[in-house]
Amino acid sequence: MNSRVSDETGKESGEIARLISYVVLIATSGGLFWEAMTIPTSRFEVLGAGAFPALVYGCLILLLASAIATSVRRIPASAYARFAEDFQTWIKTRRLVFVLFVCLGLYLAVMPVIGYPIATFVFLVVLQFWFAPKTRSAAVTVLILAIVFSVGLNWLFDEVFNVFLPRGS
Amino acid sequence: MFLKGAAEVLSASTLVYMLIGSIAGIIAAAIPGFTVTMAIVLTLPLTFTMEPLQGIAVMLSVYVGGYTGGLISAALLGIPGTPSSVATTFDAFPMSRNGEPGRALSIGVWASFFGTMISTAVLVVAAPPLAIFAVKLGPWEYFSLIVFALSIVASLVGNSLQRGLIAALIGLAISTIGTDPILGRPRFDFNLEVLAAGLPFLVVLIGIFAISQLASEVEDAVAIRKGEKLASGDIDFKTWQVMREVIARPVNLIRSSVVGVLIGALPGAGGSIANLVAYDQAKRASKTPDQFGKGITDGVVASESGNSATAGGGLIPLIALGIPGSAVDAILMASLMVHGISVGPRLIMDNADLVYGMFIAMAVSSLMMLVVCIFSMRTFLRVAEVPKWVIVPIVLVCCVVGAFALNNRVTDLYLLGAVGLLGYALRALDYPLAPLVLGVILGPIAETNLRRALMTDGDWTLFVTRPVSLVFLLAGIASVAWAIRNHRKRKAGNTNEKEPLR
Repeated sequence: MNSRVSDETGKESGEIARLISYVVLIATSGGLFWEAMTIPTSRFEVLGAGAFPALVYGCLILLLASAIATSVRRIPASAYARFAEDFQTWIKTRRLVFVLFVCLGLYLAVMPVIGYPIATFVFLVVLQFWFAPKTRSAAVTVLILAIVFSVGLNWLFDEVFNVFLPRGS
Repeated sequence: MFLKGAAEVLSASTLVYMLIGSIAGIIAAAIPGFTVTMAIVLTLPLTFTMEPLQGIAVMLSVYVGGYTGGLISAALLGIPGTPSSVATTFDAFPMSRNGEPGRALSIGVWASFFGTMISTAVLVVAAPPLAIFAVKLGPWEYFSLIVFALSIVASLVGNSLQRGLIAALIGLAISTIGTDPILGRPRFDFNLEVLAAGLPFLVVLIGIFAISQLASEVEDAVAIRKGEKLASGDIDFKTWQVMREVIARPVNLIRSSVVGVLIGALPGAGGSIANLVAYDQAKRASKTPDQFGKGITDGVVASESGNSATAGGGLIPLIALGIPGSAVDAILMASLMVHGISVGPRLIMDNADLVYGMFIAMAVSSLMMLVVCIFSMRTFLRVAEVPKWVIVPIVLVCCVVGAFALNNRVTDLYLLGAVGLLGYALRALDYPLAPLVLGVILGPIAETNLRRALMTDGDWTLFVTRPVSLVFLLAGIASVAWAIRNHRKRKAGNTNEKEPLR
């Protein structure tokens, strides 16, 4: 799959990225394991509300520790120096993915404020214009689709399904 | 009684309503984020004015159509339209990407059809004994069953066993966020409203699979601006040839359907587990397990026949004992009760015509789904010809609407964005996503039954002294051992002794 870090940034940089993910996950798991242990148990049951999560986080910590050890052993020291550069290249080649996530984040954040129809119309127009070839027919398609999936879908849910999409405050 | 039920189902008006229901179910499930349950809920009020059997027949047609509809987005977009089509993405999507989207859809439709027909046959013959067996299982057996289901992770791990297990544990960890399922104590919500209700499974599924898949579709900026399409190649397919191809796999078809029926008959389980278990069993039984995940016919057949067979399986406890096995079955039960029909062990005796009518309606719904799919497949396949710059933003909007409509909660939208980002990061780092989703599905069931078992009796040995529980646990151990052995054999077959750095 071309989305893998490995495809463009090199195998070792991909492994370093995974090593970083293991470290982040083990730190998070450690904190949540501690949190699970502090959940009080009930006198009505053998296991408390924290027992199952503690078991899960405990196993996760052990697995991540083993994954970190394996990764550290396999990554050559010279690879760390190239990582920052490879990472920058990886980010640059995936700029549209970041555009997509920024647009999605803004869309989800403003929808409760300005309502579904306006937020969706703007989201579709911006994102599709960004991605589309710069032609007149593409522009017309973008506008038609944006109206259908913003106003049209809102009407369908409102009138037919009685499900009210966010109307804005 | 049989003829009376048949006459009512086969009347012109019922058939027309069923056809509309079938189309509605297929379309609803084909849209990522919309589930069979949502379609059934929206259909329920429309059936109030109908005769009881007519109403139930229409809802069954939505139900059967919905199980197949999930296949469409799974095969063409790589996004499971419903939780029950997660395993369909493993092989149907690669098949589409290899230039055979028509064949991928067609195999799935035929497998769904045969899966539903086999489950209907089992429903007619074995409903009462299977239902009695299913309800005799206690929390010990359920927990052991979930341990067995979790052992599937070992064969879904992809390139690295370690990362597969980590992904499954992340899924289990995600499932523990929110209210504790036994005593209702808040856990890991950090006083944030967005986490207080936990992470709804569907939001996680859409975020992990759909958002991350859509994001990965736009990685190549040049190609997308040139109007690159989702899939290229021949969208045409030969229906009868594909049917013969599916029938040529009788063992896979029957095994996967039986898995679907058995899991469907267990209250609380269902299509979301059945498709993964059926896929796993097909992979284990295959002479070419390495081809699974690359677009093999057996993978599509197993997943689709497995998930469709749960429709019949789910009706077993409902008809025989009046116990709904899933949310959809509960809505079907509510529909019967609205019409003044008492649901319980006496249902077959007191309303034999209705029950026989339901059996016939299942078979007719399946046939109707097949006809609708065959005639509309070319239209659905046009989706594969739509440029990515059109389809990606629109499917994103559908995902957002689906996630919101689930609970009408704005906070679910924020969760969707966050989970989508996490899904893309995990995908980019080569973590397999299927084990994570399996962990989210099975986590609450495992925890609830483990704690319930120990609340009933604090003796841990009951998990191994109760025969059915022991069988499930041994099957789980055997399943993991088999997968590890295969994983090692594959690595040993590699010229590189070590797992390659990716």
